[in-house]
This record gives sequence, structure tokens and C-alpha cells, in this order.
Amino acid sequence: MYLNEARDLLWIASTLYAFAVFFGFASTHFTKSNFCKNATLIAIVTGFTLHTRGLYLRGLEISGCPLGNSLERVQFITWSLILTFLILRILWKLNLLGSLCSGMAAVFGIISLFKKEWDYPYWLDSSYHRLFSDPWIELHASIAIFSYGIFALLAIVSSMYLIQRKALLSKKTGLWGTFLPPIHDLDHSAFRLLLIGTLFLTLSIVVGGMHWLQNPEFVTSFKLFITLLLWAGYCILFFLRYKSRLFGSKFSQATIALFIIAMVSMGFVNSKSKGSANPSTMTSSQE
Amino acid sequence: MNNSVTSSSLHLLGSSHHIADLAVREKISLPQGKIDDFYKGLSTLPGLDECLLLNTCNRTEIYGASSNGFSPDMLREYFSEFHKLDPEFLRKYSYQHSGEKVVRHLFEVTSGIDSQMVGETEILGQVKKAYEDACERKVSGKMLNRLFQKGFQAAKWARTNTGISKGQINLGNVLCELARRIFGKVSNSRLLVIGAGEVAESAMEAFKSRGSQAITVTGRTFDWCPLSRRKPDELAEKYGGFALAFSKFQESLHHFDVILTSTASGRSLISVDAINQAMKNRPAKPLFLIDASVPRNIDEAVAKTDNVFLYNMDDVSAIANENLKSRMAEVDRCRSVLGKKAVRIWEQMTHHALANSSANQSTASSS
Repeated sequence: MYLNEARDLLWIASTLYAFAVFFGFASTHFTKSNFCKNATLIAIVTGFTLHTRGLYLRGLEISGCPLGNSLERVQFITWSLILTFLILRILWKLNLLGSLCSGMAAVFGIISLFKKEWDYPYWLDSSYHRLFSDPWIELHASIAIFSYGIFALLAIVSSMYLIQRKALLSKKTGLWGTFLPPIHDLDHSAFRLLLIGTLFLTLSIVVGGMHWLQNPEFVTSFKLFITLLLWAGYCILFFLRYKSRLFGSKFSQATIALFIIAMVSMGFVNSKSKGSANPSTMTSSQE
Repeated sequence: MNNSVTSSSLHLLGSSHHIADLAVREKISLPQGKIDDFYKGLSTLPGLDECLLLNTCNRTEIYGASSNGFSPDMLREYFSEFHKLDPEFLRKYSYQHSGEKVVRHLFEVTSGIDSQMVGETEILGQVKKAYEDACERKVSGKMLNRLFQKGFQAAKWARTNTGISKGQINLGNVLCELARRIFGKVSNSRLLVIGAGEVAESAMEAFKSRGSQAITVTGRTFDWCPLSRRKPDELAEKYGGFALAFSKFQESLHHFDVILTSTASGRSLISVDAINQAMKNRPAKPLFLIDASVPRNIDEAVAKTDNVFLYNMDDVSAIANENLKSRMAEVDRCRSVLGKKAVRIWEQMTHHALANSSANQSTASSS
């Protein structure tokens, strides 16, 4: 195991996220233990640092933003999720959010690392051409993936809302109900995350749209349709919540459903590679 | 009071809810006006170097530290004589401990595991007050000072390291905890109390103690006689809240986050339509309803409305009992550790007393 190997670093980061989950839940049992609380944050920050370095090394290897295969996309989304959590943690604190974020990052990170076929070394192909020859399209992709990280965080917050609501409706005391944040705070956080995520996704579509206008041949109509549908979905959801037409449990369920759709649709929103757009330069790369 | 310690011991005479019911405790409890005279007589008992009286609604206990020549029975005799109680009656409804058992008992009292509501924290304040009172009267000396300081430390240990204070068991506090899980800070939530029952008062006290400034009370008696002092007005004044006309509360429901009904009207006061109307004015804000009345005052069907959380007395009591059960599970563990601590402290106290005693003797012989 080497600290200058991208995969090794990603493994360590995922393990540290798993430790953060353990310490986070332990701190709910041992409420007086500062060790568990500090250990959770230290594990997340250390994991995030190694995660960043892992993605950076992979980026150097492929000479671009690492979004070329399923492993890279999953790792980039979990990285965005943890980054968003760490930034928002400064603004507002929600109990157990760090544990649940690191839990999601650990589970998806480990699955993506276990599945060897998800890490197809496309950059070793003789026909490989740099994935993002245009910096605008690279910016579009990275912002889009970052917005997915925010939507992942939104889905976690919405899940917390539904769990707390269920605990309150069941009229029983339990570990979850006691330690999860109040539903009022969760509702407010979800609304703010939806606003931030929708803004980033809109920005990504604007940047991508500028590239599409110049090079329409790189974007399949299916990708265009799915992307716009998802964007419209989040915009409508934001409008409905803003106007208080959709709120509470139905709003939370809608945000989770949209995130699942976004994840599932990721496999279908591959751009045409340069190679397929231009027969003279065949490539298997995808966005 | 003589503070010199020679072969000292600790004594305790007490009566509590464990062996005496309320009527008996009322007879044994010392009225506030008699305490000065009680201390005066107590401090003149031969051989009793230090004393302290703990007098609460659930217990009356006299702690004493003595040198040679003091008989613990003298405490009981003095108490029955002073309070004009039949000695047999007092013997039946009191307990007497000496030495290490006194340390163990005090530890259990301060930590709350000997309380009627296991794990309650009020007793610690009452013990501290009793100790301060004894210090001011200069009837507490080295032995009792050390005993009570260790008692306060034991209470802190028990609350920090065991689950005896975990979860709320007071109904008002349970409601506050539920409100916290819905709204976050209880101080920001607006409470409307309809009626003036015991639960209503308990809830208002709990909300007030957590900084809630927006407490409103309404009741059927309010409109009947606005010039007289009826319960809703008195409650509103007592907790720094507002009184609302009973005829107007239905149209003001949307202004409140927490609504508690505690009336004996026997009919539904809040219907589904009233709640649906209120929720139209606050769609995204949750509403917490507590029906503490029997028969119920809130239509049960309101629970189906999104963002509305309805609890009745059975629900709240079930949570309090569940919390109490989990506290009880911790009592044995807490008692066992406190017992060990008591033995250690008692050994230190007696060793310290003996060391002082021999030092005094050697000083006396050399002089």
C-alpha cells in the first residue's frame, strides 16, 4: 500500500469514513465523551484530505478531472458530499449528519473500490484522448457532480427528517428520535440545500449549454433530455417548497426520489466521446 | 460546638417516603418556624459535636457527628420530645444508621437514587441548601463538611457516569423534550394552554424554565368573570404569560406552535376543521398538540394532518414510564459503585480522625 497510489488513498479514505461512522454513533451512547465527538471529526477531515489527494493523483494520471469511469464519478460525488458537509458544518450543525454523510461516503466508496470493472483504465487505451479537451466542459462536469454531492447531502437530511418524524409519530422514545436534530431544523436545512444544489446544477447547465451550442455533436439528445428533466425536477421542487405547496414528509420523499433518479440516470448521461463524434479519433471516454 | 474529634462516628435519624406515607410525613416534618429552636436544642445534646437537618417534603433527616459518649438513641429521644411525637410512632416510621451506612445513605440521597422520582436533581439543591444552613449556624464541622462535600461529588459522578438522570420523567419536561424534537429551541416556540389542570401547570413551569416567553392561557372560566381572579388569569400572571379570551382561541390557533388542552369540559374543543384551517396559515410549520383532558378535547383525526403531532396523556405517561424504567435499570449499578465509594470515604474519614486524635494526644503529652 502506497500513499502515492490513488486507489490506496481512496481505500484509506473510505476506511476512515467508516471509522467516523463508528465514532459518531458511539458518541450518541457516550454523550459525555469528547473523545468520540472529536474522533468523528478528525476521521472525516483526515479521510477527506486523503480522498482529495487520491482524486488529485488520479487527475494527474489522466491529465484532467477524474470523471471518466464509474469509480471516479462515485468517488467525486462522495468527495463533494463530504466537502459540502464540512463547509455547511461551519454555518449550521446537525447532530449525526457527519456520521450519516461519512456512512454514505464509506459504503459507496468501498463498493466502487471492490468492483474492479468500475475502474476501467480508459486512460491506458492507445486510442485515449484527453477526456476534457475543453476547460469549459470540464468545469461543467465538475460543477454538475458537485451539485450531485449537495443533492446527496439533501437526501441524507431528508432521510433524517423522515426518521425523526416516524419516531415522533410512533410516540416512543428511542435512540434515533432523541439524537436526531429537530424536524424544524431539518426542514430548514433541506430547503437551503435544495436552493444551493439547484443553483449549482443551473450553473452547470449554463456552462454545458454554452459548449453544446458550439459543439452540438458531442451531446446526445437523450442526455440532454435526462439532464433537463432532472434540472426541471429540482426547480419545480424548489418552487413548490418556496410557495409552501409541498413540505414535510412529502417534500422529503420527493428529494430522496429525485436523488435516486439522478444517480440512476448518471449511467445514461454519457456524452458522445470525441472519437465517436469524430471518426478519426476514437475514444472510449465519457463525461 | 466542639470540633475536636476523638474516635468520631456519624449518625443519622430519618424518615422518608420509603417507610412513611404522606400523612405520616406531614406529622414528622418540621415546620420552618421551629427549625431555629430545634437546632438550639440539638446542639446541646451531650457528645454530639456536629449536626445537620435535611427537611424536605419527602424526607426529614438529622445527620450528626459525635465523639465518645454519644448514644444514637438520643437523637430519636430528642426528636420525639421536641416534636411531641409518640416515641413508638417515631420508632415505627423512622430509620437510624451509624458509621459507613450514613455515608452510603447520603450518597444515595444526593445522587437521586433514593428519591421518589428516581434520578431527579431537585434533591441535590435541597441538600446543598440544608448544608449551607448548617454552616451558617456553625453546627457543621470537619466530619459533616467532609461527608457532604463527598456527597456532592458522588452526586456529580452518578449523574455523569450512569443513566439515572437519562430521559425526562416529569410530564412537563417530557412535553418540553418532545417540543425540542419538533421545534429545536423550546424558548422560541409559542405555547397555548387551554384549561388550568395540573399537567397544564407542569407544562407551563417546564416551558418557562427553558426560557419560553410566549405562554398564553385561556379557559372557560376566563369569560365568565373577567373581573375576578380565576385560574387562567392567575396562571398567566404566575408564569409571565398572556390571558386569551376563550371565545377567541379557535381563530388564533395558527399563532401557536404548541397547544395543550387540560379541561374538564368533556367535549371536543379543537376539531379537524379548526386544525386544517390553522395549518393553511402555517403550512410548512409543524404543530404540536397535547390533549391532557379526559374525555379528550382534541379530535383524534387531526393526527392524520401532515406536520401535526398529536399526543394524549397516555402517550406522554408511557414515555415518562419508559424513561423511568431505563433509569431504574441503572439504579443497581449506581448503588453498587456508590457503596464502594462510601466504604472508601468512610475509611479515609476514620483514618483521618484517628490520625488527628493521635496527633492531639502527642501534642498534649509533649506540652
